Amino acid sequence: MSGAAQQVITGRYLCHIGDVADGIARGFAVSGLRPKVIVVRKNGHLHAYLDACPHYTGGTPMAWKSDAYLNGAGTHLACHSHGALFELATGECVLGPCLGQSLTKIDVTITATGEVFAAI
Amino acid sequence: MNIIGPDYLIFGVDDLPASIEYLTAFGLKPVGVDATGGLFEALDGTGIIVRAKGDPSLPAPLKTANMLRQQVYGVASPADLDAIEAELSKDRRVTRLADGSLETADDQGFALKFQTTKRRALMMPAEKINAPGAPAQRAPNEIGVWEDMPAAPRSLSHVVLFVPDIAKAADFYCNRLQFVITDTLVGAGPFLRPKANDDHHTLFFIRTPDYMQGCEHLAFHMGGPTELMVAGTRLVKSGVQSFWGPGRHKFGSNWFWYFNSPLGCHFEYDADMDKHDDTWTPREAPMGPEASQIVLFEMREKWAPGGPPPGAGKGPKPE
Ligand code: FES
Ligand SMILES: [Fe+2]
Repeated sequence: MSGAAQQVITGRYLCHIGDVADGIARGFAVSGLRPKVIVVRKNGHLHAYLDACPHYTGGTPMAWKSDAYLNGAGTHLACHSHGALFELATGECVLGPCLGQSLTKIDVTITATGEVFAAI
Repeated sequence: MNIIGPDYLIFGVDDLPASIEYLTAFGLKPVGVDATGGLFEALDGTGIIVRAKGDPSLPAPLKTANMLRQQVYGVASPADLDAIEAELSKDRRVTRLADGSLETADDQGFALKFQTTKRRALMMPAEKINAPGAPAQRAPNEIGVWEDMPAAPRSLSHVVLFVPDIAKAADFYCNRLQFVITDTLVGAGPFLRPKANDDHHTLFFIRTPDYMQGCEHLAFHMGGPTELMVAGTRLVKSGVQSFWGPGRHKFGSNWFWYFNSPLGCHFEYDADMDKHDDTWTPREAPMGPEASQIVLFEMREKWAPGGPPPGAGKGPKPE
């Protein structure tokens, strides 16, 4: 019911928009879900993906340490297993072992007060 | 050709400050490291050399995105360098550097260097255990673990490569450089040890498409499974992402724990690997979860059974 004064949120709470500054990626644990959810903000747009690199079956965690999901230049999400790079806006792998595959995109809803909910 | 094993692995990385932070957290000791990177040593002087990817002192990159630039092998003596030079010069360019070391490449384009080994002899006890029926390894009052016990990587153990052509790779290392296949995981590839090293493997190949050629992981030997788990627990506490383990492999019998890294490959702690000689008959097993480990654990935060002491909990307070 978008546009309604009282938004009905059915997703799972991830974070507050203020938790993820522009140019930053962070991982958030969602109870009952094994991979974390990566939230990344770039040029004002918020994107969310499962923290599960498609290179190995089942998907494996991508950061090298807590919240370290970006490459050195901050232009791409990186898998710190074998260096795959993924587009921030689409999740598509553009370099490395899973070339042509994509991260699992998570739709998010942001409430008027800035809470970010994942459609999972 | 008395090749001992990798002295150094050289990387040209995307994020040098992150890599320096990582190698330090992993327990390697920076030696003369500055803003341009440098060597991070295990206790015996083997280790990782890291520089920014654009650094002109680095060997050329692979054709893939992988950050491994060169594998530096230690050999027993200058005579071994002469033997390698004579053999490999038959069909490729081998460059002799001023210090006597050799630079060349294998059949798939991995840059190699051979040098009289720089590793230092270690004189340290292995992890000691006590068991009924066997003489005690620790004397009375000698304790096994303590909070700040040392758990530093002792030696660069092995490197695992993604290679497009396993047969070609095995042929080059076995027939040109006298490595021996100890075991094979069918569907992945063979484990190899060089002639002057009795470790189950210093090299392992995993078959992959061309665009993935590179380093899958590298490993450092620890003093035993306890050191491995203590070092790994400290690393995870510092925020580093565990990838696989701790557990114990079947082939090689080594304990393992793998971690993600900003160097574009996994870093492994290993411990208590099998030793072999030329009387060993290689085994084969199909690659898969059953063949690759005898046990696998997953770390969780420290916890102890039982509730909090009386009065310390968050339970409802009596009115
Ligand atoms: S597991 Fe992500 S690049 Fe290999
Ligand atoms: Fe290994």
